[in-house]
Amino acid sequence: MSALLRIQALAVNTVREAVRSKVLYVLLFFALVLIGTGVLLSTLSYVERERILQDVGLASIRLFGAAIAIFVGVGLIHKEVDRRTIFTILSKPVSRTEFLLGKFAGLVVTLWIQVAIMAAGFLLVSWMAGAPVNAGHGKAILLAAGELAVLAAVATLFSSFTTPMLASLFGAGFYLMGHMTRDLRELGLASGSEASARATALLHRVLPDLEAFNVSIEAVHGLPIPAAAVWQPLAYGACYAAVLLLLAAVIFERRDFR
Amino acid sequence: MSHSEEPVVWVQDVVKDFRPGFGLRRKRVLDGISFSVRRGEIFGFVGPNGAGKTTTLKILLGLIYAGSGEAAILGHRVRETAFRRDVGFLPENPYFYDFLTGREILHFYARLSGVSGESRARRVDDLLERVSLTHAADARLRTYSKGMLQRIGIAQALVHDPQVVFLDEPMSGLDPIGRKEIRDLILRLHAEGKTIFMNTHILTDVEMLCDRVAIIVKGRIRYEGRIEDFLEGERHCDLTLANLPPELAESFERQYGAELSGRGENVEFRVAEKHSGEMIRAAQGAGAEVRALAPHRVSLESIFLSAVEAGSREEKP
Repeated sequence: MSALLRIQALAVNTVREAVRSKVLYVLLFFALVLIGTGVLLSTLSYVERERILQDVGLASIRLFGAAIAIFVGVGLIHKEVDRRTIFTILSKPVSRTEFLLGKFAGLVVTLWIQVAIMAAGFLLVSWMAGAPVNAGHGKAILLAAGELAVLAAVATLFSSFTTPMLASLFGAGFYLMGHMTRDLRELGLASGSEASARATALLHRVLPDLEAFNVSIEAVHGLPIPAAAVWQPLAYGACYAAVLLLLAAVIFERRDFR
Repeated sequence: MSHSEEPVVWVQDVVKDFRPGFGLRRKRVLDGISFSVRRGEIFGFVGPNGAGKTTTLKILLGLIYAGSGEAAILGHRVRETAFRRDVGFLPENPYFYDFLTGREILHFYARLSGVSGESRARRVDDLLERVSLTHAADARLRTYSKGMLQRIGIAQALVHDPQVVFLDEPMSGLDPIGRKEIRDLILRLHAEGKTIFMNTHILTDVEMLCDRVAIIVKGRIRYEGRIEDFLEGERHCDLTLANLPPELAESFERQYGAELSGRGENVEFRVAEKHSGEMIRAAQGAGAEVRALAPHRVSLESIFLSAVEAGSREEKP
């Protein structure tokens, strides 16, 4: 129980740091501006104006969420070591794994707060443009939040052992590859080569399948999104994040903080 | 060994190597160091920059791991975490979350240390008063001066009322007033029965505060013991004589091991105090005059410098 309280204290502090940081507000501002530009873009079309507006809105939430996750996440641990704030924290009865989990939880909560604010912007713009909003939009935003938790775990893993610059590259690489693994697997199968099929299937297994979290098209077009299309990716994301955090903890436990 | 005699900090044959860079040869930073700290004492861990003081401290606090050897605090291996409820730490040039206020940061550290809600607010207020920061309690740390940061650092080290407090260069970069404040604080903690482990290279602070010291040079412990034992040893004095026949001066050197430190009209010897009476009588018998007789006190600085020199000599092939 006391371990949970320590993780909570670290998480609350991480959220507090984000809330008091000006950089995040700038990113959030641009995200809201982009959601708003959906109105402008939709006026360029004579058909499906509402869909274009909502497509841009949901894409903005997902893209800016990912940018914030990687941007904030890569410095999450490295900054603590670099600025030596970790020294006084680990001198308290806090294990390194608790520290890592606290920072991760704080980052996830920060991202979810950002998603909530962007979702509010999305709803406002949809309402102003008279575009219909249904449960599908809620599911799409929920899955976007799940995807961000996975990305936060990716960023935490890389931040636990490398510099923010490298972690940014790895994080962005994971994000891009994560959205391509399904296509790659299909490509491997279609190639007719068994080796290619196996290699792409392996990539699909090892890298996160982030496309599983993308139901924007269904939501925008009002297509049905079954419950399994929501809880399965969320469960998959939770397991994937847990494995990444376990790996991060193993690496972090072995480090010397010079 | 009774419970009270059990060392609070115990280090045995600890070795630590660092690799200065990728592909470079490992460098030995700690070379089999051993020492212990007793309950309730102020222990000075003294050494020049780069001697291995901070590395030792980081091993004790679990921030880095020893290559070999053992270290324990309050009977617990340093890799454990639960015992740190009884340990406080002030790093050198501490950096804290500057987006927090003084009060917020103390609450944060108190939560991490498991201080419960009711007593936490009281404890934080008490500590802010104790380190004279009540007036700045609700100001962000980014507005604090270096002295104020050092004091909030000490407050965070004490927020959970630990038994042992580790201070890494606590007076570093402070003005004379700031140094006196920290010194007074350390003495108050000592009076409360806390064990204090202090890394420093400021020898006047060590002489003023510490009960025992260990001198570390190039990763090896050169001396460990009570300050008094270092400083007292055999008492010496400086004896200045005029018109001393040269053959008598030579005999003083041979017979009493007197060190001749000045020649000319006045001859000056550094000699063990117990021989000074005989030498004065012999000199006066030979027609010499006593010009001065002054006790000579060995300073911690001279011991420190000779330890550093010994370390340098050993390193040369």
